[in-house]
Amino acid sequence: MSTEVIKVTINGQDFQVPKGARLIDVCRDKAFDIPSFCYYADLALQASCRMCLVRIEKMPKLQTSCTIICTDGMVVTTQSDEIEKAQRSMLEFLLANHPLDCPVCDRGGECELQEMTFKWGNLEERFTEKKNYYPEKYLSPIVANDPQRCILCKRCTRVCDEWMGEDAIEAGNRGASTVIGTYGGWLNCSQCGNCIEVCPTGTLLDATYRHQARPWELTQTVSTCTYCSDGCQLSLGSRSDELVRIVARDRYVNGLNGEFLCIKGRFGHPFVNHEARLRTPLIRYKKGGKLIPATWDEAVRHVAEKLDSVVDQHGRDALGVVGSPRITNEANYLLYKFATELVGTKNYAVSDANSLKAFFENLGAPLATHRDIRYAATIVLIGGEPEELQPLTGKQIRQAVRNGGAKLIVINSAPIRLVEQAAQFVHIRKGAESAAVLALADDSADELAGAKLGVDGSALQTLRQTINETQGDLIIMFAADLSAAAQTTIGQLPAALRADNRRILFHPLPLYNNSFGAHDMGLTKGAMTTSQMLDAAGGAIRALYVAGSLLPQDLGGRETALEKLDFLVVQELFETDTTMFADVVLPAASFAEVDGTFTNNDGFVQRVRQSIAPVHQAKADWIITAELATELGSDFGFAMSASAVFREISERVPAYSGLKYPLLKDESSPVQAKYTVSEGGNSAQALAALREEVQALPNDSEKSDVTPPVGNKLFEIGTLTGKVPQFHLLAEGNPRPETVRISPLYQIAGLSK
Amino acid sequence: MFIGAIGCEPLQLARVHLEDSASLGVYRQHGGYEALKKVLSGMSPDDVIGEVKKSALRGRGGAGFPTGMKWSFVPKDSPKPKYVVCNADESEPGTFKDRYLMERDPHMLIEGMLIAAYALGAKVNYIYTRGEYKYLIDIIDRALAEARAAGLLGENILDSNFSCEIHTHTGAGAYICGEETALLSSLEGLRGHPRMKPPFPAVSGLYACPTVVNNVETLTAVPDIIKLGGEAYQKLGTEKSGGTKLWSVSGHVNRPGVYELPMGYDDMEKFIMEDCGGMLNGSQLKAVIPGGSSVYVMRADQIIGKDVRMDYEGLVAGGSSVGSGGFIVMDESVDIFESTKNLTEFYKHESCGWCTPCREGTDWLVKVFKRVAAGGGRPEDAQLLLDICDNIEGKSFCPLGDAASWPIQSAIKRFPEDFRKHLVRANS
Amino acid sequence: MSQQLTQIGPLSQPVDIADAASFSAEVEKEIDAHLAKYPVKRSAILPLMFVVQRERGYLDPPGVAYLAQRLGLRITDIWEVATFYSMLNTKPVGKYHIQICKTLSCKIMGEAKITEHVCQRLGIKPGETTADGKFTVSLVECLGSCGTAPMFQVGFDYHENLTPEKVDQILDSLP
Ligand SMILES: Cc1cc2nc3c(=O)[nH]c(=O)nc-3n(C[C@H](O)[C@H](O)[C@H](O)COP(=O)(O)O)c2cc1C
Ligand code: SF4
Ligand code: FES
Repeated sequence: MSTEVIKVTINGQDFQVPKGARLIDVCRDKAFDIPSFCYYADLALQASCRMCLVRIEKMPKLQTSCTIICTDGMVVTTQSDEIEKAQRSMLEFLLANHPLDCPVCDRGGECELQEMTFKWGNLEERFTEKKNYYPEKYLSPIVANDPQRCILCKRCTRVCDEWMGEDAIEAGNRGASTVIGTYGGWLNCSQCGNCIEVCPTGTLLDATYRHQARPWELTQTVSTCTYCSDGCQLSLGSRSDELVRIVARDRYVNGLNGEFLCIKGRFGHPFVNHEARLRTPLIRYKKGGKLIPATWDEAVRHVAEKLDSVVDQHGRDALGVVGSPRITNEANYLLYKFATELVGTKNYAVSDANSLKAFFENLGAPLATHRDIRYAATIVLIGGEPEELQPLTGKQIRQAVRNGGAKLIVINSAPIRLVEQAAQFVHIRKGAESAAVLALADDSADELAGAKLGVDGSALQTLRQTINETQGDLIIMFAADLSAAAQTTIGQLPAALRADNRRILFHPLPLYNNSFGAHDMGLTKGAMTTSQMLDAAGGAIRALYVAGSLLPQDLGGRETALEKLDFLVVQELFETDTTMFADVVLPAASFAEVDGTFTNNDGFVQRVRQSIAPVHQAKADWIITAELATELGSDFGFAMSASAVFREISERVPAYSGLKYPLLKDESSPVQAKYTVSEGGNSAQALAALREEVQALPNDSEKSDVTPPVGNKLFEIGTLTGKVPQFHLLAEGNPRPETVRISPLYQIAGLSK
Repeated sequence: MFIGAIGCEPLQLARVHLEDSASLGVYRQHGGYEALKKVLSGMSPDDVIGEVKKSALRGRGGAGFPTGMKWSFVPKDSPKPKYVVCNADESEPGTFKDRYLMERDPHMLIEGMLIAAYALGAKVNYIYTRGEYKYLIDIIDRALAEARAAGLLGENILDSNFSCEIHTHTGAGAYICGEETALLSSLEGLRGHPRMKPPFPAVSGLYACPTVVNNVETLTAVPDIIKLGGEAYQKLGTEKSGGTKLWSVSGHVNRPGVYELPMGYDDMEKFIMEDCGGMLNGSQLKAVIPGGSSVYVMRADQIIGKDVRMDYEGLVAGGSSVGSGGFIVMDESVDIFESTKNLTEFYKHESCGWCTPCREGTDWLVKVFKRVAAGGGRPEDAQLLLDICDNIEGKSFCPLGDAASWPIQSAIKRFPEDFRKHLVRANS
Repeated sequence: MSQQLTQIGPLSQPVDIADAASFSAEVEKEIDAHLAKYPVKRSAILPLMFVVQRERGYLDPPGVAYLAQRLGLRITDIWEVATFYSMLNTKPVGKYHIQICKTLSCKIMGEAKITEHVCQRLGIKPGETTADGKFTVSLVECLGSCGTAPMFQVGFDYHENLTPEKVDQILDSLP
């Protein structure tokens, strides 16, 4: 939008507005309320609900303000008898065939149709004819559908297409018989539930929350998602001490994701109140014995004694401390403090699949925000599959291309779904991503890079040409499994790519909600990685203190390592592969039960807020660490206040300096950590190292020609998603039940638990 | 059924009675493709547009927009391909003129399209025909093949450097696809929903490229405009609306058919009572819908003795409009409540469902009509119907909503007695 | 007021997305010719649907799967289009589809008599198919034959200026 200002007159008042502004937005901004259903920012215009009609001088008919771009001198009326009649009549039309069953509708109380009717509608009903009737049904284990409530605003079909690129639901039939649905009546998609979220009525419904609660019974708590590194903002709906649902509805929360969430964020929460949650601390008094319930006092004392004795016998470095990319900054920080200040061990780490240490040490440009992605000019995506692993990033990329005309370059060994949006797809061999980085950094290495990538030089030239022609934001994204040498070179790229009218931004794609934070808190600075510690188990490492569980990437192939430890203490929500060998298991509180912060892949430090009291006897991870410290004779002094922990973080972690909770209060303007951007180290040396690594790559590894199907990662059963019955149905291929009238959960036996 | 001209020399219908009139040979024997030759041997695109402007030709699809002006809206400097799309969807109740033009004289349409394509710089062009007219698509396909074989279509037409292709395309049963933007959606393989205007098709139409959509009869007028010259063509009609116009006549007349009349033909009464052979079996005229179903219905006394001139201004003054020129003549056996119910059912069936007022409104209207027809009428229903129409009219996304309202509004106002008798409760 | 309900047939057929249909080389050639007309494949969706419908009787699941594959579209794209247009059948219809025009000009020129006659002769009501699957009768909107009313179409063939006798002749002549 330009900075030029024009004059419009609304209801007799003059306003200066930016040229290119949309009339409906302007009116609302100036506090002239305009009703609408189909208008939705940044989706294709529809102008079908006809709610937003206004009168514009010199135009023959009433005009839809959602489609009008203001022009200089425009004279607009938004309030008059004629307009009120039009608004009333549209609502009357919409309600004609509506079942008016608000008392039994899950949306009652937060339904836009209901609210509009109260505000703009006619209270007398003149429609006395028979209503068209469609039965209620299920579209999938996740999405329930009551077609008769539909007002055909088509927000759902547009988000499905424009946000998700899936086009899984569409309008069928014509005229008054038009319905939203799918071929065959069954919805095979990523089950993100965004269609449910944007539905202004009770037509598309959260099948996992059906008839569970009325919205007004729920307490809404704004928080940050606990799944991937995109850090979506969401609203936890709780009743008493139960987490009932998660939404991103803009009436409750306005984060970087708008109303977008993926299946995990929106439906992956039932683990919180799951019956398998650990109830008390557990102690295994004898190796090979059983875990036996204990009191907190007893357990903490037991752990302190054992850790003391390991350190006494084998020295400080024999105790390893392992944090988690899933727990809060506060919790990770305290583990770091525990390891470095209290124990004094040099062995501390985080159990993350990948490390971004090398990248951060060479960071040559700022991090992109999700908003930057939406308005990027060029996006280079190296490896990864954001549509499955960082779905919000996937959506932003898609919209950047579709709505913003951005150029997307996908460099991948498989034709991932985003290739559909790509201006160029560089189809490389499996595991050859570092060769692509080499090609970006050094155009004299095309022969080597091309051979390893399995692409010809012209493709690499095209790639560099697109980059060199970029005006505006150039965003470099990469999967976090990139090698350290490649990360180093990527970090240093901006020095070479800088140009006038071009801003270079990075968007790394780690896997977990707090991969960034665990790094920022210092846990990646330890002498050994988690895997190395496991390899040293029983040797240099005699005891481990683990928050959360070890990831399969660390544990895989090292199953016996944990048995070799003298002592293992684990903080967990559930019994897992890691707790199987633990000597003490301490029940930790989930994200819904704690206060704190997560740092997402934009570098945004976002609040996690307590929605319900800790389940059973669980405690926040950081509190457990603090209590252990106290027992070991060192009071960290944070009392019971997460904000006190964060205050210390902001004093000690440079990127977080100056931050405090009150500054992080407003989720709609998130605050980015201030990472040090430097021109980086010796690039020639880094490049040489990278070249060496690339030379060692095989010349013949394969490429995959198959587009990975929707859900290949999203539906994976993990410790948390495994607690959600619907995920099991999806992981089994989303079978269509005998009838769509009854929840598939009740029909497909054996799979649902 | 009658086909022919009254009050003028036949232009559009000049060849329809010839044997084998659809063949290239017959067309050429009777001056066919001479206009194209004239265009390609010395007229610039702007010259062509200039002649069409001078001809005062107005679109025959229903909206009556000046064709020359529409053509001049196409940006000349656009690097995008341009398209001419012929609207042969002809689904307006009471309208069947395009059908006979295509059946009997397909080359006239092809020649008209080629000239339009030349004027607008279009290389690929489509004839969008309603799906039910399958046999016409076959006829046109044959004509296109003949033209191609004769060097009248394809690369370097008539050895000029003008190259142009025309393809037929089929609809599949949707009145709304006659609306030009819905037609383009349909041609792109989408549901036939209308699109927002602006941008107008001339700027962003088919595949977001500059596109001109014209009715069959509009395009078939073009060869004659070139042959006669714009001015001479205009003189055949009125100052504001040149040339001749086809009227499809159906209903209770002795001689239904397709009539070619000069624009501004006077007297609608004479037309019905004499030219069309008068009322069927000498019955009494009750009502006429003169422009396809989407216009106001007229009472006999708005016609008899009223000298209603048959052109845009004349019909508006007479209380209706030209629309697509589909004359539906009704005698006193017709209950206007019933005829209006029938048309309302049509609009309900054909509403595309995109926008609230038309989708829900037409459904509601039909339900009211059905209830009343079944004996459940109430005196307040007339007001209810009018109010529903008022809430649709001017508020729908495309003109179909208006088209659904006008017949009802005019019928209730002009034939109150036909409604009244249904609206008094049988048992009260 | 008690809720009065008119059930609208459930829209989504309970079908599993089947293996795609296959067609003879000749039909494939016809399809290629349609595709060649357009710069964008999707534009050929209606012509192709008519081909599939002609070959398979209606747009059955394998036919739909074929269309999606051939046009590079999603199944939903096929579905949304197929259900929009009234000439596309997503359910089987009789071998002869008798489509009687019921719009105004035909209505006032005696459509009712024709419909009654056809229905009586075939023993079905509009919207139904005879038990032997030979005939389906539908009432449809204006077919552009108003000057030659009343009329019906059998498949794509126009039959105009109908009288009960003429109807009998036409129906008798159908093999
Ligand atoms: C609901 C509706 C149906 C229409 N149907 C037709 C039609 O069947 N044939 C046609 O030529 N124009 C039809 N039109 C008019 C077209 O939108 C458009 O104005 C016309 O094709 C332009 O061509 P012309 O300028 O040559 O008339 C229809 C318009 C509306 C709103
Ligand atoms: S008025 Fe609305 S619903 Fe009716 S045909 Fe036009 S866009 Fe479709
Ligand atoms: S918001 Fe403008 S028409 Fe729906």
